[in-house]
Amino acid sequence: MSLLKPFSRLTGLNTANILLVENEEQFQQKLADTVVLQEKTVNVNVLARSLPLPMENEESRPRIDLVVFIIHLTSELSFQSAETSLKYLDPGYFQGKVCFLVTSARNVSVPPERLVSVRTLAASLHCPLLCAEDQTTEGVTTAAHRLLAILKVAAGLVPMATSLYLSTLTRCTVPSDIDQQNFE
Amino acid sequence: MDDSTKRILQRLIRRIPSQMLQTMLGKWAHLSREDLHSLDFTQPKWVLTEQLLALCEENGLRVKHITELEMIYIIENPNQGMWHGFQLLDAEEDAPSIELTQFKKQFKANLTELISNVSIKIKKHTDEAIWIRVAWGDNFTKPNHLKPTYVVHHLQTPYVFVTGLTSKYKPLLNQALVLATRYGSMKDAHLSGRNLTAIRDLLMRQYQQVFPTKNPKPLQEKNPVPRNPNIEKEHAENTENRLQMACEAFGDGTLPQLQKAVYKLETKFRDNSNKTLTDREEPFRGVVEFASTNLLESLRHCVSSGMASTPVTPLLSSITQKGRNYFVITDKGV
Repeated sequence: MSLLKPFSRLTGLNTANILLVENEEQFQQKLADTVVLQEKTVNVNVLARSLPLPMENEESRPRIDLVVFIIHLTSELSFQSAETSLKYLDPGYFQGKVCFLVTSARNVSVPPERLVSVRTLAASLHCPLLCAEDQTTEGVTTAAHRLLAILKVAAGLVPMATSLYLSTLTRCTVPSDIDQQNFE
Repeated sequence: MDDSTKRILQRLIRRIPSQMLQTMLGKWAHLSREDLHSLDFTQPKWVLTEQLLALCEENGLRVKHITELEMIYIIENPNQGMWHGFQLLDAEEDAPSIELTQFKKQFKANLTELISNVSIKIKKHTDEAIWIRVAWGDNFTKPNHLKPTYVVHHLQTPYVFVTGLTSKYKPLLNQALVLATRYGSMKDAHLSGRNLTAIRDLLMRQYQQVFPTKNPKPLQEKNPVPRNPNIEKEHAENTENRLQMACEAFGDGTLPQLQKAVYKLETKFRDNSNKTLTDREEPFRGVVEFASTNLLESLRHCVSSGMASTPVTPLLSSITQKGRNYFVITDKGV
């Protein structure tokens, strides 16, 4: 199985690379454009539909610092595709270099169980879960801003902060965990 | 003017939207310019109707003039009502050389022979289409102008488009058309929709088609679209392939606007989890209907975004390849 490995390549100077994985391939383009616009000197965005990534690009692909799984809560297929893609990630990524981004969380027609299952997945992997609004430009800009903040830490561009340290602060928790902490 | 004529005129004015009324009356040309100027088109429609009725009475206009106005309106706005496509088969030797006057004469003669009380109007439109309006009557009743049938035929093509035809008069119209166009028979093309231009484009393949090529990328003369060097697409090839297959199956650019595709299933039930239904001998009858404001556009998007698997299943691509939207599927094939 071709796993995506976090440290198989040398890092570049002043660069950070983010991989956006989305089954529908719609939000990722907008997000990528905004991220590149916001931080002109730093990054390269790689857009994919699912993992594993094609073998042909193995040589030219830069080192990926942050993998973001974009899940649209309106579609079950989105979630399942993200779940199956997780298998192709080297475990080294799960120390703060993976992030889940969820859209349409406020949508009334979305079954609440789906958000719960995404949260349990993110909590079990110790990854942060971000909610984004993909229909307006402000929503896209906000999401890009937050991703950039995590990306800079994951690429080592922020002094005194590592992605593992950040992930202990930002990791997703499922409500039952919090309740248990409160009452013990 | 008698009551029925008045009623026909009133219905027609009510049907034509206010914005178009002035242009339609101008094209009609049965009212003099002074009369037209005397009408104030900013008034409410019922006031206009009264004034028009009075003007028509003055000018002594009769049913045949009013039906002319209706025909002008329908020709300008053909995308209402349900249009059905038909195909003529077994052309005889002189079918390709039929010309307008001959067709008109033959059609009128044939139809009046078959049913005496009909009112027929034939008009040739600028885009080489012949429009026929038929109002049907019986031996004892006058033609009913409130429910006319419209027929569109392009000469030298084997296609006919009909709207407003009841099954009672279908065989008569068929026979008259077949004889007038010098073909052997006419069959249902199984294509129907609200938009006449759409079904005409689909049947006569007048939309932008994409043909399979071995080297789909264009020559490298032109500068490619400036892509952001910072953004890399991993699955670009896959996306391009999917888009290519979607366009090959459904076409490029603006697609004809179909509203429905109906698949009538007469196949045996096949599902291993449901034993009672699977063991039956007779076919399981079901109807699958796809509906959308622009069906072909939605299907193309389904394929290009990966929702429908590629290669495109022939069940969907035969909508455009065969030009029909009603299919009966049996176990032996479509």
